[in-house]
Amino acid sequence: MAGAGDLMSGETLRSSIGTGAAIAHHGELIQGVFKDDGGRLHRGLVTLPIAGLRSEATFARSDDDAVIIHPDHKIKASAAARLTLDFLNVTGGGVLTLQSSIPVGHGYGSSTADVVASIRAVAAALKVQLRPSTIGRLAVAAERASDAIAFDEHAVLFAQREGTVIENFGGSLPPLLLVGFKANGGVPVDTLQLPPARYDSAEIQEFGVLRALVARAVYLQDPNLLGRAASASALISQRHLPKQGFDEIAEIARRAGACGVQVAHSGSLFGLIFDLFASNLKRRAALVAQQIRRAGFKEVEVHPVNAEGWAW
Amino acid sequence: MVTLAIDYFRDLETPRLARLAPNLVAAAFPLMKLMPARYILDRAASNGELKAASHIVETTSGTFGMAVALLAAARGYRLTLVTASTLIDAKYKARLERIGATVISLDDPRGDGNQPGRLERLQEILATEPDGFWTRQYDSPGNWLAYARLAELFIRALGKVDCLVGCIGTGGSLCGTASFLRTVFPHLTVFAVDTHCSILFGQPVGKRMLRGLGNSVLPKNVRHELVDEIHWVGAYPAYMSAHRLLREHGIFMGPTSGAAALVARWVAKTLPDAQVAVIMPDEGHRHAETVYNDDWLATLPGWPCKEPPEPRTLTTIAPAAETQWTRFLWLRRSLDDVLKTQTASAVPSAIGAVENL
Repeated sequence: MAGAGDLMSGETLRSSIGTGAAIAHHGELIQGVFKDDGGRLHRGLVTLPIAGLRSEATFARSDDDAVIIHPDHKIKASAAARLTLDFLNVTGGGVLTLQSSIPVGHGYGSSTADVVASIRAVAAALKVQLRPSTIGRLAVAAERASDAIAFDEHAVLFAQREGTVIENFGGSLPPLLLVGFKANGGVPVDTLQLPPARYDSAEIQEFGVLRALVARAVYLQDPNLLGRAASASALISQRHLPKQGFDEIAEIARRAGACGVQVAHSGSLFGLIFDLFASNLKRRAALVAQQIRRAGFKEVEVHPVNAEGWAW
Repeated sequence: MVTLAIDYFRDLETPRLARLAPNLVAAAFPLMKLMPARYILDRAASNGELKAASHIVETTSGTFGMAVALLAAARGYRLTLVTASTLIDAKYKARLERIGATVISLDDPRGDGNQPGRLERLQEILATEPDGFWTRQYDSPGNWLAYARLAELFIRALGKVDCLVGCIGTGGSLCGTASFLRTVFPHLTVFAVDTHCSILFGQPVGKRMLRGLGNSVLPKNVRHELVDEIHWVGAYPAYMSAHRLLREHGIFMGPTSGAAALVARWVAKTLPDAQVAVIMPDEGHRHAETVYNDDWLATLPGWPCKEPPEPRTLTTIAPAAETQWTRFLWLRRSLDDVLKTQTASAVPSAIGAVENL
C-alpha cells in the first residue's frame, strides 16, 4: 500500500469523509478446530450473517493525530481506525462516528461489525478499496478475536484469532430463513471472559466432517446439508458452553421440519434454520415461533438470510 | 478439498472415487491402511509418545504393516513387524524387508496365527526398548478416528449418504467412517462385510480362504452397535465380483474389495432411492498370480461356480461354503445381545477371549 498516501496527498484528501457499514451475524454455523493444508490445527468458524442489523461508520480525516470516537466507549473501533491509517501509511487522525442497530453481548457480532465498518470508513475516506482478507486481518488485530463478517455473506472458514481464511468455500450461503431467539434468559455473554474450548480428538476429527458438509452445502446451495452441519456443531458446543433447553429446541426443530439448529458458540443466540423456498414457510415459521415462546425463550425474531428480496 | 501443499502420503492414502451405479459410489484405495497409520504416527509424534528415530512395533503382516513400513522409511523410524509363518508369504516379507522393516516370522504349529506368541515377542521388544512405540491397530482409537477423512471425502463428493458398505477386519475403516457419517446423517444404514468362519459377528472360528477380510480374534475397534446388517461373503463370489470390477469398470482391486462391491451393488439395486457409498480397501496387484490367474483359479474345487444373485438371509448365524453369500439382520445390537438370541449349539466358543490384540 506504500505510495497510496503520496498519490492522494493534498487538500482534497484532508477534507475527505468516508462511510462504511458492516452487517451483523447470528453466531456461527460451525465453530471448532480445523486442519490447514500442512495438518496444523487452527481455531476457526463459519459465520451466519444477518443483513437486517448493521453498524454504520463515518470517518472524517483531520490533521490532528488523535482518532476521536463517538460513542466514546467503542475503543476497539477506534483502534481499528488507527490500525487502518497505519496500514495505509497515512499520518494524522480523524473523527469516527458509529451508529449501530446491533444489540451488544448476545453473539450478534456487534463489536466486529463496528470494527469492520470503521475500517471500511477509514479506507473510503482515503479512497482505497481494501480486500476482505485485509479487513479481516485488521479486525483481528484490533479486537484479538473476530468473526468473518469482513467477508459479508461470502462463505469462508475463518481463523478468528489469526485473521486468516482456512478454506474459502467459493460462494454464498444458500438462501435461508432463520427463526432466532435467546437462550439462558437472554443474559448477555462476555466473549472475552470465556476460556477457549478444549476439544478432544473425536471432536476435532468431526469438525473436518462438518467443514466438508458446509463446502457441499455452499457448492449445491443446499440448506438441508447446511442445517445438519449447524446442528452437529451446536451439539458439540453444548458440551463446552451449554444452553438451557437445547433438547427441547432440537425436538421443536425436528417436528417443524427445520433444516437444523444453530447457536452462537460464544453467545446466547439460538436459531432454527429453514429453507427459504420451503412451502408454507410463513405459517410454519409463525407456528414454530409460538412453540419457542411457549417453551420459555425470549425475543423470537425472524431473519431472512441471502433472501434477495424474496417475499417468503 | 483443493489443497496446495505437497504431501505424498496424504495423496497416496486418498481413494479414487468411482461411480459403480447411478446411486453407488466406491472409494477405491491403493493402500487404505495408510490413513490410520499416518494418523496414529502423526498423533503419537505430536504428543511425544513417538520420539525421533524410535522403534515402532506391530503384530501385523498385512497392509497395515506395509503402510507403517513406508512411513517409517520416510520418517526415519526403525520398524519391527511380528508375524506368523502361516500368515506371510516370502514375497511380501521380502518387500517389507526391502523397505527397511525387520520381519520376525514365528512358528505356528497350531495354524491359528499364534497371536499369543506374537504378543509375547512384541512385549519382549518393548521391554528392552524404552523408546519403543506400538501402533496397536486393533484397539487404538486412532485407527477409527483417522477415517473422519474418508467421511469428509464422501460428503464432499456425494452430499447426503444413506447407506455405507464396508469390510470388517479390525473394524477401523467401517466403524470409523460410519460413526462420523452418523453424526450428521443419523439415519445412515451400515452394511458390514465379513467372510465365513470369521468370529467377528458370531461365527465359529475356522479356516478362511479370503485373506484380509474377517478375523479370528476380536479387535476393540469392531463396534457391533453401529452395524445394521452383516453379510458373509465366500471367497468365490468375492473373486467373481473383483473380476467384474475390472471387466465392467476397469478398476483393479483385491478380493476383499470384490466382496464389498458385491454387497454394495445389491444394496444399491435393492434401495434405488438411497445414496450408497462403499469402501474398497485394496488393489489387485498382490493377487495377480491367484485371483487374477486362470491356472490358479482352475485348481479351486468347484470353480467356476454360479454367481449368487442375492444373499441368503440367515436367522441362525452359521458358516457356509466358500461359494455362498449370506446375511443377517444385526440391527445395531451388541455381540452379546445377538448371541443370546442364538441357540446354544450355534454359539461359538472362541468369542471374547482375546483382549488387547
